[in-house]
Amino acid sequence: MKIYESSVKKPVTTALIFVAIVVLGLFSFSKLSVDLYPKIELNAATVMTTYSGASAMDIEQNVTKRLETSLSTVSDLKRISSTSKDNVSLITVEFEYGTNMDEAVNDIRAVLDMQRNFLPDDCESPVVLKFSSDMMPIAFISAHAGVSSEGLYKILDEKVANPLNRIDGVASTSISGAPQREIQISADPQKMEAYKLSIEQLSNLISMENRNIPAGSIDVGSNTYSVRVDGEFKESEEIQNLIVGSYQGKNIYMKDVATIKDTLKERSTEIYTNGERGATIVVQKQSGANVVEIADKINAALPGIQKSLPPDVKLEMVLDTSEFIKDSISSLTETVLLAGLFVMIVVLFFLGRWRATFIIILTIPVSLVAAFIYLMVTGNTLNIISLSSLSIAIGMVVDDAIVVLENITTHIERGSKPKDAAIYATNEVAVAVIASTLTIISVFFPLTMVSGLAGIMFKQLGWIVTIIISISVLAALTLTPMLSSIMLKADPKRSKAFQYFYSPIERMLDGLDRAYASALKWCVNNRFKVMGGALVLFLVSLVLVAKVGTDFFPASDNSQIGVTVELPVGSRVEQARKLNTYLFEMWKKKYPEVEILQASLGQSDGSNVFMSLRTSGSHIITYTAKLSKPENRKRDIFDISDEMRKDLSATPEVYRYTVTPGGSSGMGMGSGGTTLEMDVLGYNFEDAESVAKQVSDIMKKTEGLRDVKLSREDYMPQFKVEFDRDKLAMNGITMTSAATVVRNRINGIITTKFREEGEEYDIVVRNDQKYRTTVDDINNILIFNTQGKAVRLSELGNVVENFAPPSIEHLDRERVIKVTGSVYKRSLGDIATDVNTAVAKIDMPPLITASVSGAVEEQQESFADMFTLLALVILLTYIVMASQFESFRDPFIIMFSLPFAFTGVFVALWLTGTTLSLIALIGAVMLVGIVVKNGIVLIDYINLNKERGASVKRSVISGGKSRLRPVIMTTATTILGMVPMAMGIGAGSEIWQPMGIAIIGGLTLSTLLTLIVIPTIYTSFHAGDIKRKRKAWAKKINELKAV
Amino acid sequence: MKSIMIIYNQAHSTLVQQALDKCDVRGFTKWVDVQGRGSDKGEPHYGTHAWPSINMAIMAIVEPEILTILLSELKEINSSAEKHGLRAFVWEAESAI
Repeated sequence: MKIYESSVKKPVTTALIFVAIVVLGLFSFSKLSVDLYPKIELNAATVMTTYSGASAMDIEQNVTKRLETSLSTVSDLKRISSTSKDNVSLITVEFEYGTNMDEAVNDIRAVLDMQRNFLPDDCESPVVLKFSSDMMPIAFISAHAGVSSEGLYKILDEKVANPLNRIDGVASTSISGAPQREIQISADPQKMEAYKLSIEQLSNLISMENRNIPAGSIDVGSNTYSVRVDGEFKESEEIQNLIVGSYQGKNIYMKDVATIKDTLKERSTEIYTNGERGATIVVQKQSGANVVEIADKINAALPGIQKSLPPDVKLEMVLDTSEFIKDSISSLTETVLLAGLFVMIVVLFFLGRWRATFIIILTIPVSLVAAFIYLMVTGNTLNIISLSSLSIAIGMVVDDAIVVLENITTHIERGSKPKDAAIYATNEVAVAVIASTLTIISVFFPLTMVSGLAGIMFKQLGWIVTIIISISVLAALTLTPMLSSIMLKADPKRSKAFQYFYSPIERMLDGLDRAYASALKWCVNNRFKVMGGALVLFLVSLVLVAKVGTDFFPASDNSQIGVTVELPVGSRVEQARKLNTYLFEMWKKKYPEVEILQASLGQSDGSNVFMSLRTSGSHIITYTAKLSKPENRKRDIFDISDEMRKDLSATPEVYRYTVTPGGSSGMGMGSGGTTLEMDVLGYNFEDAESVAKQVSDIMKKTEGLRDVKLSREDYMPQFKVEFDRDKLAMNGITMTSAATVVRNRINGIITTKFREEGEEYDIVVRNDQKYRTTVDDINNILIFNTQGKAVRLSELGNVVENFAPPSIEHLDRERVIKVTGSVYKRSLGDIATDVNTAVAKIDMPPLITASVSGAVEEQQESFADMFTLLALVILLTYIVMASQFESFRDPFIIMFSLPFAFTGVFVALWLTGTTLSLIALIGAVMLVGIVVKNGIVLIDYINLNKERGASVKRSVISGGKSRLRPVIMTTATTILGMVPMAMGIGAGSEIWQPMGIAIIGGLTLSTLLTLIVIPTIYTSFHAGDIKRKRKAWAKKINELKAV
Repeated sequence: MKSIMIIYNQAHSTLVQQALDKCDVRGFTKWVDVQGRGSDKGEPHYGTHAWPSINMAIMAIVEPEILTILLSELKEINSSAEKHGLRAFVWEAESAI
């Protein structure tokens, strides 16, 4: 028994199977967590090595270069880039997409372990940081305080960070902007010299005095007692009275040679929220946890936490990533529902029957719900990709049901009992329905195999649509006949009111059928005119290809702007503070859209990985502006950013600046603007610099580029201590010990920690601030040799003043200067072409090269992937069609509708001023499957007429006439299903808009032309069929006669 | 005793079965998936792409008095949907074992 037969005969089983699917789907839906994107494992890992006190050059030579060379042996490596700046070396190892990152990170660790011994002694162990979208902070909470600001760190750590950490799903919270406690021992070098003491001695002494030692246990009588020596400081004041030595029989105390301060760290990040100094708590979630749920819990917990804080400490949620997610998801849900409504209206419009409409519409929830089961089983989330997939599929799931139901209705009208009609009518169309579904699957299934960034994005789309469409064909072959056999009647009575509304529609549809038949008649008789016209149209549309710009990802408005402002290098932090107040006052007035403006300035304290990855320095201010919701304001983030740029150029103190619409929080995908990046590679600093300057001049002149800047910052003034090796040797001092002495005097030495209430605080020993201000202070540093003899630094070498680049970047182990510019209202592809032609004219010094990278490179790679995919999809659909028609010729004829689909895509993009982005390209790929479906329906019926013995022309005309409605109907459901997406209403919808526009444009034009051109081409191809048959027959008869 | 052969579009299958039951015809032989075409204007029933419909055939041996009722029942079925097609042929059943 065939599947549709048994389903009609066992309506209870059939109904309950689908009920089970729906229940399982809804259950999965309730368990699904919500996120913005599918889980993206970024294909990069960063190796961070801190070497406090080292300059960029030192870091480059001693750390970065060594590690880079050995890291480049790791397998599946795509490229390796690095930044060496003061104190830190950051190496980013990028792998091919799809590499197993756990293995890759293990490989990296193995390499680092091997290199560990070759790194400088004071250099800390390299740390491997693996990034994934999960690690992006989900919330920023700002805190500002009045009188309690001294102890803010401790208050926040205990009362805010800890309770937040206990929330399920929160991985970590870190506090920045609140300086941590530190015990500073500031030594007076002159007194130390008088007493013949050194910083190292002090430091060792403190470390020796500050120790708890368990001394074992003794038995006293029948009891055992443990013996302890608790030598650790109980109060920081105890340090003052440590005896550091004796001079002429008198004790020398610590307080005699140094000032002991229990205070806050010297250099740290300052954070201002809406102009007020405060701290920020950064919350990260655990991998796989539900952002929205956690954010809700945090929001619920905050009022309680607020109550436990001192009254002057105020907490405020600055950034809540869940808001954008919630908005995007709810606007997408709206899109899906709206699409469903449109589809329902179309079906009712064409069928004019409530019951039939109900049966068809029922396939929508049944098949869509199956997607939730898939998401649940594979551990995915409900995100904008999965929801958009639903909205893409919604117009297509009804197609199969429509075809089946239409045939059942025809059978019933001919007089069959609904039950028989359901079985036999389904039997007749089953093969055609499966074939047309296979064409759709052959488009979407290859999407699951795409590599690269596009692969990550579209894997889910491919799976979801494939699953939904498979379930929909199953429903069309079982549920639809079953319901038809029960619900459809031989002669449905329409109410008078319905008849009143519907009869004009019916008349119009009939008129349309007739008009189409006569148009078709003219066309098949004037075949060359029609084909010539179509060819001309296609060629004309090719002109548009050049007019439509290309982009990587459409930009979207996520209500965030990131701004980095730089003062001249070496400016003191006080200058930055002044500028910050000025900018804040100005922007507060000019941009009422900005709800929260957060600024951070000053040297990063390095305690927080996330913060230390940003460029920081006393001369840099970083802003994060949070704007009101897009629908509540007229200017979008791109306009406001451009205004801000004008403000900044008008401020004389500002040395340079970057304004990043969408925020600087990395992950350029789909939020905010894109940037163009040119890499200037070469070892020689001066040559590379001059080329980079020329490139940046070119880019500044290029239309549509803003914020052009070089990645290499200005040279930073530095003092370089040059020891004379001979003199060192004469005094019995090694280079390392001399250098360490200098480092300990200036940077300080930490050998022990002060413990209080379970917390640890650093005890730093170094020269007092006032003895660290001039070159003479460095020259005067005393260095002790092994015999205990003190030598001044000036006797061992010189202190030279020169300039060092503050950061040195490498790309694939070569020095690089990146020239970047943000794109404003022009397509990335066009800009890249302009810049490339101009850069090619530069007269390059030897060994210096310039090339495009960044988003343009990603775009080229992804576009290449897409074209391979397109070829694969076309081949697959051809195979499906050829096997359905058992012919090479007919699928070829159907393929003629593809060029017009692409014509439609370009026309639609051009008319709406949209650029050809990766998303629009995916739309074009999908079109292949959707468009040939119409051709299949048409050609299938024309073939059927021909097999029934009609002439080619008659078959074409009558076949076309009878298939007009199904073609228009399925096309209309698909197009209208996409309309809400193409209109782009709601948050984050800009991303999918190009796809909607591309599909609507392509499908509309190609359907119109398919209806005219395909029958014409078919006639031309098959016109000779009958003649050929006759000829063959005549030949045979002649042969027989001859015998 | 008359032998009757009913050849009909499979879409009529339930109706024909009902007619036989109604006339109390107990014994019959049924062939499913039978092909053929009408002599006059009847469409072919080949079960192919061009002619997807297919026939069934039933042969029964009935008493003459039942036959008239059965034929009128069958005629009614046929007129309910002439496009589907139903034909019945009757001839003498000479003997049976």
